[in-house]
Amino acid sequence: MQSLILREVSKMIIPFIQIFGIYVIFFGHISPGGGFSGGTIIGVSLILYRIAHGKEVAMNKFKYNSLIRSLCGALIFYGILKGYSFITGGSGIHFPQLPLGTAGNIFSGGYLLPLNIAVGIIVSVTVYFLFALFYEGEI
Amino acid sequence: MKIFSIIMMLFLIGASIAVSMMKNLLSTIIIFMVYSLVMAILWQQLNAPDLAITEAAVGAGITTLLFVLTLKKIRGVKK
Repeated sequence: MQSLILREVSKMIIPFIQIFGIYVIFFGHISPGGGFSGGTIIGVSLILYRIAHGKEVAMNKFKYNSLIRSLCGALIFYGILKGYSFITGGSGIHFPQLPLGTAGNIFSGGYLLPLNIAVGIIVSVTVYFLFALFYEGEI
Repeated sequence: MKIFSIIMMLFLIGASIAVSMMKNLLSTIIIFMVYSLVMAILWQQLNAPDLAITEAAVGAGITTLLFVLTLKKIRGVKK
């Protein structure tokens, strides 16, 4: 199912989908959105690339090793950061914390921005894996 | 805006009844996608735009894609 129209239209539309997903992730703490919705949107753009260009091209572009490495790295990063926040905040230990910044800027809200980015990476890779396993049985 | 919400809710009830009454499986999936999209508009009306984005991306996008793939795999599409 490789049609010329699908390929050309997907070439035009995939960058816009990815920029919208990155916007939803990065502005998740001051406007509607967040890690899960933005990660799903980026995952949909990866799925569209795989449908339009076929299995071999997508498998060369998004290699299994790099995808699983970024997923595990984001998971470990999320666990360390969230655990640090819980331990130092919950038991009253005065370790250095991330600055809060001024309300309304992108760099505000403390731990929310890096946690949102980690969740976005995890969700996008997971959605892509789910589709690939359903569609062709291999990633 | 209240009348709009009521019309959307009636449409939602009609769509959810049609999903269970429909015989053709592909039509069922497409009506389910319409249900999800109307639900996203309704979340926006209920002042929950965060949930509306998630519903439009997951309910109307990913779920429909996986359902259609499953239908193709079990050869449930009638010619």
